Amino acid sequence: MTRNMKRKRFIGSKTSMLVLAVACSLLFTACSSKSSPNAAEGTNGGGAAAKPVTLKVEVFDRGNSPAGSTITDNYWTKWVNENFGASSNIDVEYVPVPRSEEVEKLNVLMASGSNVPDIVFTYDPNTFNRYAKQGGLTDVGPLLDEYGPNLKAFLGDDVLNYGKFEGTQFAIPAKRSNTGKYASFIRQDWLDKLGMPVPQTTAELYDTLIAFKEKDPGQIGGQVIPLGMTIASAQYEPLLWSFIKTMTEEQKFTLTQQLGSNDYPILLPGFKDGLQFMNKLYNEGLMNKDFGLDKDKKKLTEDISNGKIGFFTEDDVNIYYENGTYALLQKNIPGAEIAAVDVFTNEEGKHAKPKYASNGLYIMIPKSSERAVEAIKYLDWMASSDNLFQLQNGVENENYTLVEDIPVAAENPTVEATNRMFNAGDMAIISNGKQLGSLEKNLKARAFQMPKAFQEQVAVAQDIANTDTIDLILLDRPIEAQTKYATTLLDKFNEIIVKTTMAKPDQFDSIYESMLKDYMSSGGQAILDERTALYKEMKSK
Amino acid sequence: MSAEEEAILFLPRHPVLIEEATAVSMTNYFRRYWQLYALLVLPLSYFIIFKYGPMYGIQIAFKDFNFFQGINGSEWIGFEAFKEVFGMRDFYITLRNTLMLNFLDLLVSFPAPLVLAIMLYEMKMVWFKKLSQTILYIPHFISWVIIGGIVYQVFGTQSGMINNIITSIGFDAVPFLTDKNDWLITYLLVGVWQSAGWGTIIYLAALTGINKELFEAAGIDGAGRLKRIWHITLPGLKPTIVVLLIINLGHMISIGFERPYVIGNLAVREYADVLSTFVYRTGIQSGQYTLATVVGLFQAVVGLVFVLGANYASKKLTDESIL
Amino acid sequence: MREQTANRIFDTVNFIVLCVCTLICLAPFLHILAISLSSVRPIVSGQVSLFPVELNFEAYFKVFSDPAMIRSLGFTILLTGIFTVLCMVMTIAIGYPLSKKKLKGRKVFMFVVVITMFFSGGIIPEYILIRNLHLLDSMWALVLPGLINPFYLIILISFFNNIPESLEESAEIDGSSHFRTLFSIMLPLSLPVITTLSLFYAVGRWNGFTDTLMYITSPELYPLQLKLYQLIQNNMITELMQMEGAQMATVVPESLKAASVIFATVPILIVYPWLQRYFVSGVMLGAVKG
Repeated sequence: MTRNMKRKRFIGSKTSMLVLAVACSLLFTACSSKSSPNAAEGTNGGGAAAKPVTLKVEVFDRGNSPAGSTITDNYWTKWVNENFGASSNIDVEYVPVPRSEEVEKLNVLMASGSNVPDIVFTYDPNTFNRYAKQGGLTDVGPLLDEYGPNLKAFLGDDVLNYGKFEGTQFAIPAKRSNTGKYASFIRQDWLDKLGMPVPQTTAELYDTLIAFKEKDPGQIGGQVIPLGMTIASAQYEPLLWSFIKTMTEEQKFTLTQQLGSNDYPILLPGFKDGLQFMNKLYNEGLMNKDFGLDKDKKKLTEDISNGKIGFFTEDDVNIYYENGTYALLQKNIPGAEIAAVDVFTNEEGKHAKPKYASNGLYIMIPKSSERAVEAIKYLDWMASSDNLFQLQNGVENENYTLVEDIPVAAENPTVEATNRMFNAGDMAIISNGKQLGSLEKNLKARAFQMPKAFQEQVAVAQDIANTDTIDLILLDRPIEAQTKYATTLLDKFNEIIVKTTMAKPDQFDSIYESMLKDYMSSGGQAILDERTALYKEMKSK
Repeated sequence: MSAEEEAILFLPRHPVLIEEATAVSMTNYFRRYWQLYALLVLPLSYFIIFKYGPMYGIQIAFKDFNFFQGINGSEWIGFEAFKEVFGMRDFYITLRNTLMLNFLDLLVSFPAPLVLAIMLYEMKMVWFKKLSQTILYIPHFISWVIIGGIVYQVFGTQSGMINNIITSIGFDAVPFLTDKNDWLITYLLVGVWQSAGWGTIIYLAALTGINKELFEAAGIDGAGRLKRIWHITLPGLKPTIVVLLIINLGHMISIGFERPYVIGNLAVREYADVLSTFVYRTGIQSGQYTLATVVGLFQAVVGLVFVLGANYASKKLTDESIL
Repeated sequence: MREQTANRIFDTVNFIVLCVCTLICLAPFLHILAISLSSVRPIVSGQVSLFPVELNFEAYFKVFSDPAMIRSLGFTILLTGIFTVLCMVMTIAIGYPLSKKKLKGRKVFMFVVVITMFFSGGIIPEYILIRNLHLLDSMWALVLPGLINPFYLIILISFFNNIPESLEESAEIDGSSHFRTLFSIMLPLSLPVITTLSLFYAVGRWNGFTDTLMYITSPELYPLQLKLYQLIQNNMITELMQMEGAQMATVVPESLKAASVIFATVPILIVYPWLQRYFVSGVMLGAVKG
């Protein structure tokens, strides 16, 4: 534009442009000088030995800081600087990134090329793959060998493998303490009233749902919803995956579509049968008519706690939280009882259900960072001695007490103690969930966090979640089409579930066919082709 | 073609007056008008720095954008990305939906605030007028996330408030949110509800400019209320209506993200998926800024053409224009 | 007589329709208010509609006892105030000359403005610009980039255009400078539109937060809406938390969200009723064209 104005010899002569520019720059310097000291700027004091170097670490901001602390200045940031920073002459500074805009903000930070924290992370494997592919990440392999022995030991090779991109360690994946996902839940008091046993198979479940609908054991008028369904994966995944048939290794590898961090069964044999079953349930009035609107399970929670729902699947411990769904149900409907059960069966009679990958966050060090060594030191420190334990559990006797080496949440903690833990989970980036050395202990610790009255049932639900789980397919190298089309295809996948389920039975086939066609042409085929090629490549080796 | 070049192309059509003027009258002219130019200095520099400054980013549309090479360092790919976008089925579907929803909005949501403003203007009880004015614009302040939750509670099929009433008097529930045609009605109603009250403000401001004497004269003539509205109030609002209409037409191809996203759902994605959600999904979430920029550039060019067209037509038809 | 009956019918219908519209617009606000005053059980069970169930003021205690919330309110008021004043100054400064049909180059300037309604550089160059100007993490990053809204500018120009030219011309003949014409004739006559646009700018700034997500990292510079957004957006999906292995203690109760919504909305809501008086006093002259 500037160039253009000059060319036209319009009133904007060179002089006036100059005046203009000066005026503006004056304005801006005036403005910026008033601005608050910019914490994120200036890390150039690195060379001097006496002066501590600054390590900038990303932290998720969820806007839940309690009164008196901020996400960048709180109990744990001080604790880190006292325990790690002081001894290693490193100033750890936290750069907040809004949790909900995680990827967007990270993208802009990366693209702008400065102000990038030395430690960044994301849950999105596609983002990790993209950064790695575009050459923006530090190879942390050698650094880990040199500076991260504790970290390496803590994570183990299995987890670390998730952070490799075409063989190079471009990310440090966090370790997940428990990979179990889902359990099923049924109104035991309804079953008792009808004199029915707990259903053991999908077919028995169907009869039970019919009985719930017809006999209305809860006596709630016409409002009974035998099967609680939503369009969140916890509700549809256990059902759909139980319809997947036994496959050869090749089928598994080539037909699975990994969109984001989960595997999706859309092309697997049996998937259509699952949809057909959902369609049947829907058209017979056995599930919520509005399930396709309920993305955040809000309506489901509401209906469960109002005693309208007979059976549902859910994340294993979700209903047991203090003042959570189950507690509310008991308040609203005295005598209501929910039992954790394992119902959906596949053709082998197994309760097959998905699980999490053994990794969580992808922790990355941008190539532009000059503090890669310090970054590894920081993570290594977190993994060493009892630092992670403290970070995850707080202060003994104030936040927890030890029972058989397992931390149990303190009863009636002070406000100070409760507030202290508001960001503890987000500070302990190397782990998702509490780590106590073994799955058994981890699960126990998780149960101990729950209200006493439910702890036994939590244990049952957790066991169910870890039974007959389906392993995720590991890929030697990332599938480019997956990185590219995942978000689009994920939407289409959910759309297929909603549309086919809500279809009139005679239209089911045509809707399924046309939507699958759209799915395939929008990237599904590209993923299939790439996976098939990769499989051949693997076999020929 | 970048936006800058776009601008250059258009400029010569407006003759540069300086060269035509003689030196003497130029001096006179500037003696008379220098104050006006002085006023323009800061605002124009604002536009140059904050609006035109970042426009080099438009070249992303022609580059294979790499986060770490930056905008200037990324490789040129010509029109590759355009070919990719124009080859996507979703692009055409979302484009169609965008135009459809905007067109329906133009028919329904555009006149709504005008009608409401006139109703308020005609309201004789001052306390009620002020009260309802204040309340009518509240929905504008409620964020879409919250509206989304409320919409679900009100329009849901299974237990929505409206359907509870419909089923209790013996009719079948209406799938306001899950049938694509019913959903269009819901979408429009929520839009009107959310924006009509807010939209009245500008009309009410314009109405203060109408000469009260005209009304009195009309009152003596015995003109009916509707007639008076037709012959005095509406003509008084004409310039405002035209300006808003032109700008609206310019935005026919762009659409806010939140309203279709929040009110829309998977069952009606056929209609609810629009350009903004498409860009968010394929461009931003998937980190393909090149695709996002391509769609943005396409929208900008079309929008500019629309607004210039509307402006031209309006100039011919009503003698009102924004340029 | 027939006319009077018709008038009465008109008034009655008008009243009833406005009543209905008003109620429909009030209901959601009441709903949020009711939630902010209810207890957890009825909220999660979906039993709260327009009136509080199991009345509970705890959420408001929490909001008002949170110094960060109060500070955020103060900052937001300051930010909105400065922003609105600067915006109006800039918009009038460009709007007045551009409303002069005689001004040479007017069309070009208008074109420069209109282009920016459609073309923009995108988020990355904008971020880089803010960084290069050293405005990151400062209030000015939230003020300067949005100083002139072309849409509002066009509205202002259209209003200026509707002020009879004869008034300006007579002032010019009197030897009044352009500045004086602006201050003594144009501005007083345009009070309603200036008020309106100020409200638009103020509300836009008050409700906007997407730029803060990008440009602000210090919690001291969080405007209310950003805090609100985080409250509502984050932790919305329990599934996400399960995936993250996060603790339930971090979940924000619905009543606190609702109380925060009320806390962040009421201050800006009362601005309009207060401004309404300028809508009347602005009427001094009829300026109906055609």
